[in-house]
Amino acid sequence: MSRPRPERLDVKVKEIKQLLPIIVGLRVKRLGYLSAIVGVDLGVEANEIEVIYYFCPESAVIALRVRVPRQGATLASLSDVIPSAEVFERELREMFGIEITGLHTTDHLYLPDDWPDGVYPLRRDFDSAAIAGAGEKV
Amino acid sequence: MTDTTPKGFTIPIGPQHPALKEPGHFRFTVDGEIVTRAYVRLGYAHRGIEKAAEERNYIQDLYLLERVCGICSHIHALAYSLAVEQLANVQAPPRAQAIRVLVAELERIHSHFLWMGVSAHEAGFDTLFMYSWRDREQVMDILESLTGNRVNYSANLLGGVKFDVGREQAAQILLSLDYLEERARHYLNVLSKDAMFLQRTRGIGVMTRAQAEVMGAVGPTARASNVPRDLRVTAPYAAYPEFPVKMILDDRGDLEARFEVRMHELFESIRVIRRILNEMPETELVARMPRRIPVGEAVVRLEAPRGEVFYYIRGDGTDKPERLKVRTPTICNLNSVVRLVVGHQLADVPMILAGIDPCFSCNDRMVQVEQAHNGTERTMTWSELRQHGIDFYSRSSR
Repeated sequence: MSRPRPERLDVKVKEIKQLLPIIVGLRVKRLGYLSAIVGVDLGVEANEIEVIYYFCPESAVIALRVRVPRQGATLASLSDVIPSAEVFERELREMFGIEITGLHTTDHLYLPDDWPDGVYPLRRDFDSAAIAGAGEKV
Repeated sequence: MTDTTPKGFTIPIGPQHPALKEPGHFRFTVDGEIVTRAYVRLGYAHRGIEKAAEERNYIQDLYLLERVCGICSHIHALAYSLAVEQLANVQAPPRAQAIRVLVAELERIHSHFLWMGVSAHEAGFDTLFMYSWRDREQVMDILESLTGNRVNYSANLLGGVKFDVGREQAAQILLSLDYLEERARHYLNVLSKDAMFLQRTRGIGVMTRAQAEVMGAVGPTARASNVPRDLRVTAPYAAYPEFPVKMILDDRGDLEARFEVRMHELFESIRVIRRILNEMPETELVARMPRRIPVGEAVVRLEAPRGEVFYYIRGDGTDKPERLKVRTPTICNLNSVVRLVVGHQLADVPMILAGIDPCFSCNDRMVQVEQAHNGTERTMTWSELRQHGIDFYSRSSR
């Protein structure tokens, strides 16, 4: 990192399966609460999506970073450990196309019910032509 | 929709209704009067702001993001400005930071007065609604005299603020604050003593500290359950290190506590504004920003009137952000409220929903009551549901 700031902890989680035990550990130690889950599409060339879990104990910010492939990525839901994770995961699912296992509902949270399958608006290569005409049928 | 086949009645509320900055759709399954299940669906006002922000430059985004919310617009512009300044490694001058906090606290006063009125209305206490909104005009006038706008004040620039506060303006604001403080004291007295109103708030919608922590509640909703989460205190930003506020906590966790926490926050805001006006640092208003925002990531968390606002920005060295993420407080609190209403009377739903202070945008909302067994349905408006709540309590108090 080019300009580190105080009270920031940045953790790269190398394997996806390590993520859940780490988060359970944070939860057990009452280390912060889940403030947000941020998805970042790293682009078609990198062919990866970075998912950042932000935990905030008081003034500190802990970032857990995990990278998943753009196609066929699966993450386990945190909702059994942290109920509030579910909305962020549903958002991740519909905006980036990351499959989340263990969600209680897979309905759209933000996007319309008739949103076409396989179109993920927050991806870099999203083309608004893909949704032309959507939302017009009632 | 996946979670259907409920027993009893399912009552869809919305989408044209309880606000947030977007209208939301709730479905409550009831067994008699008791809510047994709740479900939330958002997105009816999803405008794709995050995507839009990635396609505009840093200056344009300031104006775009101020429009995320019509009530707490300043906090979004402030969060964005602080995040971009963090990326560019620029510090806004102390006077600019003080003015930013000044506007943020004025915005909190306006937001809390607005919320008090709306919640009182949901309880059928329309006199309080009218009075509190009348008094809210005072703070709207202050904001207009300072910034030129009643909403979307556009106070921030990247690197500072747009306007200064003169001595005459300060004197005028101090006069209005005296009035607002006196009114707030009166309302606190009413809200904590009026027997009819307490019937709607005391012991209703109780959220324990453990629940609030697990569900990730933020802002006054969390503080009313004794969760010490107030970023102005725990992670002071802008001018809060120089002008500290006191954290208001309450351990009761019910609606009454949520009212009282917000009312006491009003007094804190007024106190801090007075201090800022009297001890404003004498400096420039704007720091020079570089033309190019460097590569990097910034996370900014601020205390909006409703709780923590979370901003994430990733810059890639161009004139546009590569990724921008906004997480507003209502999404956190909504989570908790959807779990909270289970086990409560249907009549309490409007009050519990209003209790987290979702930004109310539309007043008349459709409620459909459908009978799950035989498919018949009955349609109520939100005002009928509200009336149901009022009648329910006036019957039971006889």
